[in-house]
Amino acid sequence: MVLNWLRRFSVAPTLLVPMVAGLPAPAQDDDPALPPPADRPIDFETDIRPLFEARCINCHGADQRKGGLRLDNRADGLAGGDSGPMIEPGDSALSYLIEKVAGLDPLSTMPPSGDPLTPDQVGLLRAWIDQGADWPDADDPAEAPSSDHWAFQAPELPELPSVSDPSWPRNPIDHFILARLDAEGLSPAPEADRTTLIRRLALDLIGLPPTPEEVDAFVNDPSPEAYENLVDRLLASPHYGERWGRRWLDLARYADTNGYEKDRERSIWPYRDWVIDALNDDLPFDQFTIEQLAGDLLPDPSIDQRVATGFHRNTMINEEGGIDVEEFRYAAVVDRVATTGSTWLGLTVACAQCHTHKFDPITQREYYQLFAFLNNADEPELALPDPEILRRRAELQAEIDAVVASLPFLFPVPDDAPGGESLTEDERRRQHRAASMARWEADLTTFDWTPIAPSSLASKNGATMEVLDDRSVLVSGDTPNQDVYTVELETDLEGITGLRLEVLPHESLPDGGPGRAPLFSVGDFLLTEFEVEASSGEDTPERVAIAQASEDYAEKGHPAAKAIDGVYDTGWNVKGAIGEPHAAVFAFAEPIGEGEKTRLVLTLRQEYIHQMTIGRFRLSTTTDSGSVRASGLPAEIEAIARIPAHERTPEQADQITAYYLSVAPELEEQHQRIASLRKAMPKLPTTMVMQERRPEHSRTTQIHQRGEFLQPTGNAVEPGVPSVLHPLPDDQPLDRLGLARWLVSEDNPLVARVTVNRLWSGHFGRGIVPTLDDFGTRGEPPSHPDLLDWLAVTFVNEGWSQKAIHRLIVTSATYRQSSAVDRSLVDRDLENVLLARGPRFRLEAELVRDLALSASGLLNPTVGGPSVYPPQPAGVTALAYGGPGWPTSTGPDRYRRGLYTFTKRTAPYAAFTTFDAPTSEVTCTRRERSNTPLQALTLLNDPVFLEAAQALARRVVSELPEADAEARAARAFRLCLSREPDASELAAILDFYQAQHDRIAAGELDAEALAGTSESDRAAELAAWATVARALLNLDETITVE
Amino acid sequence: MPSRNRDLRPLAARETLRAVTRRHFFRDCGVGLGKIALASMLAGGARAIGSDVPAFDVTNPLSPRPPHFAPKAKRVIYLFMAGAPSQLDLFDPKPTLAEYDGQPVPAEVVKDQRYAFIRPDASLMAPRFRFSRHGESGAELSEMLPHLAKVVDDIAIVRSVHTDQFNHAPAQIFMNSGSPLPGRPCMGSWVTYGIGSEAEDLPGFVVLSSGSGISGGAANWSSGFLPTSYEGVVFRSQGDAILNVSSPPGFDDQLQRDSLDLIRTLNDRQLGRVGDPEIASRIASYEMAYRMQSSAPELMDLSGESQDTLDLYGVTPGKASFANNCLLARRMIERGVRFVNLYHEGWDHHSDVEGGLRSQCGQTDQASAALVLDLKRRGLLEDTLIVWGGEFGRTPMVESNATLGRSLGRDHHPQAFTMWFAGGGVKPGLTLGATDDLGFHVVDRPVHVHDVQATILHLLGLDHERLTFRTQGRDFRLTDVHGHVVEELLA
Repeated sequence: MVLNWLRRFSVAPTLLVPMVAGLPAPAQDDDPALPPPADRPIDFETDIRPLFEARCINCHGADQRKGGLRLDNRADGLAGGDSGPMIEPGDSALSYLIEKVAGLDPLSTMPPSGDPLTPDQVGLLRAWIDQGADWPDADDPAEAPSSDHWAFQAPELPELPSVSDPSWPRNPIDHFILARLDAEGLSPAPEADRTTLIRRLALDLIGLPPTPEEVDAFVNDPSPEAYENLVDRLLASPHYGERWGRRWLDLARYADTNGYEKDRERSIWPYRDWVIDALNDDLPFDQFTIEQLAGDLLPDPSIDQRVATGFHRNTMINEEGGIDVEEFRYAAVVDRVATTGSTWLGLTVACAQCHTHKFDPITQREYYQLFAFLNNADEPELALPDPEILRRRAELQAEIDAVVASLPFLFPVPDDAPGGESLTEDERRRQHRAASMARWEADLTTFDWTPIAPSSLASKNGATMEVLDDRSVLVSGDTPNQDVYTVELETDLEGITGLRLEVLPHESLPDGGPGRAPLFSVGDFLLTEFEVEASSGEDTPERVAIAQASEDYAEKGHPAAKAIDGVYDTGWNVKGAIGEPHAAVFAFAEPIGEGEKTRLVLTLRQEYIHQMTIGRFRLSTTTDSGSVRASGLPAEIEAIARIPAHERTPEQADQITAYYLSVAPELEEQHQRIASLRKAMPKLPTTMVMQERRPEHSRTTQIHQRGEFLQPTGNAVEPGVPSVLHPLPDDQPLDRLGLARWLVSEDNPLVARVTVNRLWSGHFGRGIVPTLDDFGTRGEPPSHPDLLDWLAVTFVNEGWSQKAIHRLIVTSATYRQSSAVDRSLVDRDLENVLLARGPRFRLEAELVRDLALSASGLLNPTVGGPSVYPPQPAGVTALAYGGPGWPTSTGPDRYRRGLYTFTKRTAPYAAFTTFDAPTSEVTCTRRERSNTPLQALTLLNDPVFLEAAQALARRVVSELPEADAEARAARAFRLCLSREPDASELAAILDFYQAQHDRIAAGELDAEALAGTSESDRAAELAAWATVARALLNLDETITVE
Repeated sequence: MPSRNRDLRPLAARETLRAVTRRHFFRDCGVGLGKIALASMLAGGARAIGSDVPAFDVTNPLSPRPPHFAPKAKRVIYLFMAGAPSQLDLFDPKPTLAEYDGQPVPAEVVKDQRYAFIRPDASLMAPRFRFSRHGESGAELSEMLPHLAKVVDDIAIVRSVHTDQFNHAPAQIFMNSGSPLPGRPCMGSWVTYGIGSEAEDLPGFVVLSSGSGISGGAANWSSGFLPTSYEGVVFRSQGDAILNVSSPPGFDDQLQRDSLDLIRTLNDRQLGRVGDPEIASRIASYEMAYRMQSSAPELMDLSGESQDTLDLYGVTPGKASFANNCLLARRMIERGVRFVNLYHEGWDHHSDVEGGLRSQCGQTDQASAALVLDLKRRGLLEDTLIVWGGEFGRTPMVESNATLGRSLGRDHHPQAFTMWFAGGGVKPGLTLGATDDLGFHVVDRPVHVHDVQATILHLLGLDHERLTFRTQGRDFRLTDVHGHVVEELLA
């Protein structure tokens, strides 16, 4: 058929075009347009390098790298430039380099200036390429990238500068700030009042406003340590970990769904809780780093340390049907490199994915060396030993065991069973049972199977396969969408009549297996075709005809016969009986094997979608004659059944008896009881973790042309770090653990600076280096370089304690300044770079809601646990794929803090998006703070905020049942703003209150609707206060850290 | 170490935008300015660092501003046919396919192309519909597009579009943002970032949707690393047009106004006390929100449309539909909305491409053509660009799969597909580009997704190489490092 087509093509020129379009011209040794290759052996050093240096390196060297091409070193030179490889070793006519220098590319000839290369020179290059493009290996980039850029020099503890007013500084931070203000001719602002300070501190450190009582206590605290005590109390609050954890989760791109089209739910909230706990425990930042990047590689890692590796499992997973799973794993590793670079190094490492970094000293090779560290993990889920669930499971298991143990004694004895007179009831039961079992055994059709450990195993698409002690094969590692297993068996058996393929459960498989499908048809597989070839000695393998296939179980319409029907899109699967062993038997048309070594090559095609491949299997052969077929028994039982009853060991007898009892129809009632107990077993919560692959399964990382997944260059790289930074210690492993330790090494000039800068930015709304994720040459320089270094060195000296840095920052005089700003200062320093005033900025998305819940008394302060679904307007998720609903939480979960809200990537919680929360697709170092009409609409009209306003109304009325409007207004004001209203504010509120009160009384407004209550006797009173509360929750000051 | 005097250099792009917005707010917006006059800081607009976005000279991030050069189009309605319609059954007639129906495609043609579901040796499948020529241009369309046939002389058909992606979510996001991975700003965000919007009481970048849920989800209208102000605002056809645009139950207009007045009074006081320009921005946002509360329902209210117009589109008032959304799109651009992205998801015909197209064309053909006609008769077509197309094409080979229950379908095909363009400086009556006899590869005038993007920006007066935003150390643009304007498409 294809031949016909080709013939047609040859006479239909228009049809030929598609075949060659986009492909390089075929090699034509006699291409008349090319000068002939030199006919002598070429030496790179004497013939080629001088030519490159004279004519190419100016533009294609370390400095310019035009078109992404470097010809000053082997790795980059062979990798090529932006338009692909320039050199095809062995084929100069196919090499773009030759096309360019020979003037065959009509767009441009190289070199672009000066004389073109002579035919002899082109001939030299051609000969060098034709002879294999031998380029001495030691030729590393001429000079290792280096830089005198400030951020690559290690910070040193600077001297404190002298200042104009030595009484102002409260700690060293203030020396640096004031010295700068002195130089600018500016003075610091006065200290903010205590009410402002406690609200600022509370919102800053725990993300919740202080209660009016806490404000009063602080304002009236006579202790000279009142402020420091408050700071310590807040830092010790469990809500500190929530507030600052959310910021870390932005970096981690934490979400509760997988992203892309399907965007299904995932379980990784235990990682979120780990972050909260780690911050509350003030886990030193170096350890915090190591556990998240490489917790699984620590010696004897704890469960918590493995949970921590969820940091890099927060990458997205594409579950579309027709994808190349490996392509999106590659995309995830790309994301991990970028996130690691920006989070710990403050460098835009990602820029070097496609070409050597254009601005910072990071080569493309170094990019892939970093990639290699992160490219060697499997990505399993970890079950967490939740004690309560374990207890419940143990209880249920005990019940199951009890039922199983009781089975022999419950075996029903019919009245007409023999021995009714002479035997005890138990003995009569025993005999009847034995007789029933004997009849069952007599009906079995069994065969002698010999399990064979494969002599060779291969997965077409890169899954990891290993032979276990029981000769079964366990598949792990990559889970490609489709796979083909090639399995070789060697046997001396004569006259093999069939093969048995057992598919077996395993604890590592989804829902126990036997399949690997992780998302759809979980735990299942689909064997689309099963083929056998056989050979002996040196003979060519021949296809073995399979006469028939049978199985112990199959989903309806998917029997094993579908695996030998030659149709690639049908096959055998076991949906409906996941978590149990199954077997299919393939009977040969003719016996094979002639006594000497027979080699069987089995091909297990699993070419469906959704990663439906087999997770564990075992192969056995038989030489039994007759119609070989599946017995319906587990392999062990089938083997015992072949042994005459009197020759069985007691264990074997017990085993087959137990099996019989588990299937005997007489015990159906008990079987159902067992099944329902099993079904009731609660599952352990799981979380997604990294698990380093064993050395024999480690992946090789290659440089990819222009960063494209489909264009690996074949240039393999070892894990390594950018040479512009400190070297890897010799004694560290070349794995993620080595990388993590390198990142938090005291020699790293970046990590401490980047981290303290991020903390600083969290307090002041702007970093000392404002480009939090770019400390490279294109980033903004620090406003206070010495302060940055002082903080960085102090951070390390303080044992990498983040709480210590928070304490330093918030106890500084700089932080304690009033944030009020006068005209001249706005004029001079709009962005508050110089810090001649305190910080003032809008709360982050989740905190806007937390504040409303807190002020109204609705907040449920529970820390941790699975994510929740607070109310949001109907239809937000409807636009996402499949139009999923939003299972709004009921009860206290409606009022959890914002960071526990379920994060769906393709349809994020609407109110949070409106207030600039990230969608968690990629790392977010710094949230935008926009100020939009949609935010106003949310605060005014969103059900969550309305509910808070109504609750706040109830709160003030119930807290002050006898008080007048003025007292209630002041109370509501304080609950939102912490401070007392001034006279004019109070007057405006009371005017508004009175107006609404009057309209309600006049029946113009629906009190029950406004108050959100049907208690009509209170509705009128509550309704007027609800309108007041709603206005207060909308004030700029309410949602702002002043 | 940097010298001490360098740190007041221009700020990073994002912050500059904010600063500029705020400065201009003070200059031009009357709210709360009695307290602080900031004349000295108002020395003209600034540019985002590393970008060539024209200076902002009005009150908010969406204020209209001049493009790089004189535009042909002032606004865009992008009809995104999500799921990917079959070009071979609608726009790109292939008699050869009919001739070889049922025969395997030669391996040489398929090469290393990866497919979502089918195998590379799948059989070819004949076009499911008849084609004929229409209009003075003689453009060929299938019988499934009778309405489009009537306006065929007003549109330009490009048969040679190709993409890099062959799965829905990445391909949709690629078409919208120039990158297959979520997280980059999409076209409407780039456009409103570049030239703002002329809508006073509505968002500048609006998203509408009909059909089923959209594979790429919110990433299709995300502002990515651009400020949130440039994010697409979803208008819904049921409930509130914009989330929370209605006051809650019980809050009548007077109460809403009274509430806003109280909020404004208290915010004004705080502005006087604290002096942060951000408070003035907040006051303005609340006023804009209040105006949107009446402008959004007014927009959605079709009672003022003539029966003739309703019939033209095929709109049943009160019923959500693609037709309804097309009419809304017209009403939006009349009110100054810059970029309307109208999704219709339902073209993913892995099975029964024939029945699927009958259904989808039935829902979309009339309204798509009506939009062209309606804009034309209102004089809006000449400076409004309409774009129609999916995220990739569909295979010349048949898709069938017993386990999936599929037959007579077509799989995803990134190598070639068809889009059409109308108005806004596009050459009418043009059919551009060609594929081979199998409709497999482009053989004439390939137009890559990045070229489509470059061309749309060009029609809006924006140079795709100059419309950039610096983040993560790089000047990003919609077209990544690619893209050429398709000159042949320009009128």
